[in-house]
Amino acid sequence: MDLITMLKQLGAGMIVTGEIFFLTLLFSLPLGLIIAFGRMAKNGFVRTVSKIYISIMRGTPLMLQLIVVYFAPYYVFGIRLGAGYRMVALILGFVLNYAAYFAEIYRAGIQAIPVGQHEAAQVLGFSKAQTFFKIILPQVIKRILPPVTNEVITLVKDTSLAFVLTVAEMFTIAKQIASAQTTVMPLMVAGVFYYVFNLLVAFVMDLIEKKLGYYR
Amino acid sequence: MNLLEINHMKKSFGDLEVIKDFSLSVKEGEVVSIIGPSGSGKSTILRCATLLETMDDGELLYMGQNAAKSVNGKSVYASKTELKKIRRFFGLVFQNFNLFPHYNVLKNIMDAPVTVDKVPKEEAKERALKLLEQLGLSEKGKAYPYQLSGGQQQRVSIARALALQPKILFFDEPTSALDPELTGEVLKVIKELAKEKMTMIIVTHEMQFAKELSDRIIFMENGVVVQEGTPDEIFHSENERIREFIGKIESVY
Amino acid sequence: MKKLLAVLLCSVMMTAMLTGCGGDDGSSKGAVSVPSTSEEDRTTFTVGFDAEFPPYGYMDDNGEYVGFDLSLAQEVCDRNGWELVKQPINWDTKDMELSSGSIDCIWNGFTINGREDAYTWSVPYVDNSQVFVVATDAGIASQADLAGKVVAVQADSSALAALNEEENATLTNSFASLNQFADYNTAFMDLEAGAVDAVAMDIGVANYQMAEREAGKFVILDEYLSTEQYGVGFLLGNEALRDQVQNTLFEMLEDGTFAAIAEEWGLSDVVCLSKDAE
Repeated sequence: MDLITMLKQLGAGMIVTGEIFFLTLLFSLPLGLIIAFGRMAKNGFVRTVSKIYISIMRGTPLMLQLIVVYFAPYYVFGIRLGAGYRMVALILGFVLNYAAYFAEIYRAGIQAIPVGQHEAAQVLGFSKAQTFFKIILPQVIKRILPPVTNEVITLVKDTSLAFVLTVAEMFTIAKQIASAQTTVMPLMVAGVFYYVFNLLVAFVMDLIEKKLGYYR
Repeated sequence: MNLLEINHMKKSFGDLEVIKDFSLSVKEGEVVSIIGPSGSGKSTILRCATLLETMDDGELLYMGQNAAKSVNGKSVYASKTELKKIRRFFGLVFQNFNLFPHYNVLKNIMDAPVTVDKVPKEEAKERALKLLEQLGLSEKGKAYPYQLSGGQQQRVSIARALALQPKILFFDEPTSALDPELTGEVLKVIKELAKEKMTMIIVTHEMQFAKELSDRIIFMENGVVVQEGTPDEIFHSENERIREFIGKIESVY
Repeated sequence: MKKLLAVLLCSVMMTAMLTGCGGDDGSSKGAVSVPSTSEEDRTTFTVGFDAEFPPYGYMDDNGEYVGFDLSLAQEVCDRNGWELVKQPINWDTKDMELSSGSIDCIWNGFTINGREDAYTWSVPYVDNSQVFVVATDAGIASQADLAGKVVAVQADSSALAALNEEENATLTNSFASLNQFADYNTAFMDLEAGAVDAVAMDIGVANYQMAEREAGKFVILDEYLSTEQYGVGFLLGNEALRDQVQNTLFEMLEDGTFAAIAEEWGLSDVVCLSKDAE
């Protein structure tokens, strides 16, 4: 197999990898914020549930979570699995896991904002929602960029865990080509791909950080 | 009618009774200073009056409207919408400025009028520029808070409070976080406001300033008013604690 | 908040549903297959296989999943008017895949021996032995020479099952260590690099792997670890589907198609499908 053919096949996998990556971020970033609110809620029940959720998501392997999400409908509810559920379960598993990590990052960021910012906004007459979205969140985003970048880079590499549900993302395909062609080449190409993907992520995050660098 | 009326305010943090029984009426155009040693409860009075803290007992009225009533020995606050209206009557200048770091000076001043009072942007901007000129900060509109000195930041925060056109302005130790050489510019601004008959309540350590500016001074200690009177009465007080306090402060500054 | 959470989760489902299962084999794209309750109205036939198991099932140069087993399955489907869905599976979760209904059978050089009661089996169609592959110049000529050597075997594979049999305990215990690996390519790389001294595996796979690599570099030990047979594994109790597939295989055997497919994949020596075995 020549390199072009191999790249073409891996390319199809890259699209799936990108899909997993973007869908996970798209849903886990807002979900993480909601869980962060739950974690800081006045209501003790909501707080405890959020805490347990985060603890489980961070305390068990993502690979196991993916398997559980995929097979739970059958083993728990007896629903026979349709072919389309494979990708859904994968994204769901990733989102549920990453939201837990993002929630803790948000919480740290929100709690680091001086109480004076809340008080100033309150005295000026801002509503709670206005205070959060106009005053607090923009400052939180600036503060949490470095830890979020870490998670995003980890996510790029974690997409390869999709192999447990045999969703044909790049690493799954690379392994399949490698075994069919008895060569390590596709694995090397995969390595380069992840590295370049992460260079891109780091570049974009750096750009955002610079953009938010206009104030201190 | 009194602009502000506080009747029998009580406040405890846990077992600590911070304010034992505090009452105060302020008429339009009056400047009232609250002085006293740290821990005397003067900042807590300001925080309760500006609704940042809730009182345990007592009444709070602005322009005759009840923000809180005393019912069976407990303060009962008005509804959210009522309180929202009442907040319009006052502004607060913090010790630490609490400017919004991600907004430039102009946006810091304009944002509340536009967001809260729905003032048209152009009008809010005009108002903000006028305030900046008045406070000697005309060229700083585009600057961000971190680019300003402490004195400039405090002047911006005064402008931010004034932009909502409050009836009464509270100052919580407005110069305590400033280097001594920067306090002058802030005090000057407050003096000018007094000249324009702005109603103000100032918690401060600046004795000379309080003496010059105030119509009335309240001396507090341990959550109670030790003496209330004109600057002359306070500065020539017979009370041992007040004499001692004023002596100590004046020797420091 | 709970409501918001529910809405969010639903939207996750929806989006993933709409984008479909991207890089899968084209035929399964986005399709939500409803498992048929009766065999008469079956329209699809989903074969679960390990896509890293040539020549039985793997990815070819065009990115298509091919192999001896998949060719057989394709022919069975064509004769029954079903659409073949080739579903690569993770070998470790194959039983969950089968019982949850995401696949109809495991057809993948699937060893019957030792699993007789775990699945409803077709008759064996391949006689496969477990062997040891060693480097030609390693000076290993018999199983006795493996004492103190590092032996590699695929996780959850037939070779591993054979090594763990009681009758092979002495042999297995004589190894310096028994390493489990994820796929054969890695194992051969290790063998080539000298990190392992022998790899225990199916003879068919061994022949394929050796043919793909430098001639004469590797050799199969004459002493076989075990003799085994491959069958198609169906969910326990699913005799209806098993019978239909098996009868079609018999038809293919009679008209010569089966032999032709075996020849095509170079497996003529190992196939053993026979109506007598029923």
